[in-house]
Amino acid sequence: MLKGSTPSVAEEVHGVGRRTFLKYALGFSFLATAAGIVIPVAGYIWPPSRSGAAGESRVLVGTTKDLPPGQGRVFPVNDKPVMVVNTSQGVKAFSAICTHLGCICEWDQGRNIILCPCHDGRFNPVTGDVISGPPPKPLPPVAVSVEGENIYIGGGA
Amino acid sequence: MQLTRTLPDRVIDWFEERLRIRGVIEYLINEPMPTGARTLYLGGVTLFFFIVQAITGMLLVIYYRPTPEAAYESILLIMNQVRFGWLIRSLHAWSANLMILACIGHMLRVYFQGAYKKPRELTWMVGVLLLAVTLVFGFTGYLLPWDQTAYWASTVGTEIAGAIPLVGEPMLNVLRAGNDITGMTLSRFFGIHVLILPATILALLAAHILLIHQIGLFDPTHRWMGPHQDH
Repeated sequence: MLKGSTPSVAEEVHGVGRRTFLKYALGFSFLATAAGIVIPVAGYIWPPSRSGAAGESRVLVGTTKDLPPGQGRVFPVNDKPVMVVNTSQGVKAFSAICTHLGCICEWDQGRNIILCPCHDGRFNPVTGDVISGPPPKPLPPVAVSVEGENIYIGGGA
Repeated sequence: MQLTRTLPDRVIDWFEERLRIRGVIEYLINEPMPTGARTLYLGGVTLFFFIVQAITGMLLVIYYRPTPEAAYESILLIMNQVRFGWLIRSLHAWSANLMILACIGHMLRVYFQGAYKKPRELTWMVGVLLLAVTLVFGFTGYLLPWDQTAYWASTVGTEIAGAIPLVGEPMLNVLRAGNDITGMTLSRFFGIHVLILPATILALLAAHILLIHQIGLFDPTHRWMGPHQDH
């Protein structure tokens, strides 16, 4: 600060006049207020994901009563389809997204296999391996745990 | 000549040449304020809360589903999953209560200052209708979460209408769309809340505000002498 300087000198020294400074301050206030409204509204309109950011939480999908031995079903788990099958070797779970072109697989009750209806890709319900059809890779397994009758999917089972 | 003007000014000029609306806007915005006025803000506060209600309401209806199966679930979705959903819904709920409070404050001010007297009777009458619409907004909105509070509050509330002699029974039937509060009641209340009442309140608000400008603000320290009297 220059002692005893007139406002006009001060303006020259600092390069920013009082009026300009106030204009910027006002503009900033308006922008901050607008951001305080626009950000929550934009966040609100953006569709929510089903779970928290990580999406790795354990989810109870049902009980072994809903899914008796020899049956399979697709459950949405953390926004992704998971094929859960109650096989002769325990409850198994795989990603239900076909490794061929990404269709959602279904449970074929008659043939006891996981079937991709798009191009007849067939998977082994115990291992997830490809039995026949175009899929290049087995279905990736998903962590599953059975506690009592409850079937949990995901998490570090 | 035009180049010396700033860009926003030139945009405004472009529209003004084609709309000739400046006078109308100035008429609506510039209203002489009586010098003695210290309590003339409550109507504006009410209008502010109404605008908050309109915006947050438009946002809520994006996720809300007006069926008995999905209504409460969609409220949980808004509160727990949607980003800032808790904020938008809480704003809507709080602003609803505060709007009614501001309405009543505004009405009391007008009443005790005698601002409803000639020539402002029409403004008062439209204002009473606005209060009624606001209260119906509150009543119909209360059912929409479809939880226990909502269900029983609406049961009791419609029951009150049913207690009126002669017309009570048919009124109850119309309000509930049957003998009980059902999914039909929910759709009915939802429709009233998001379509019928907003259209009604916009028309009434336009009339209310236009009337204020036609007659000029009430000066609590002066006796009325004529339209747009100088203070």
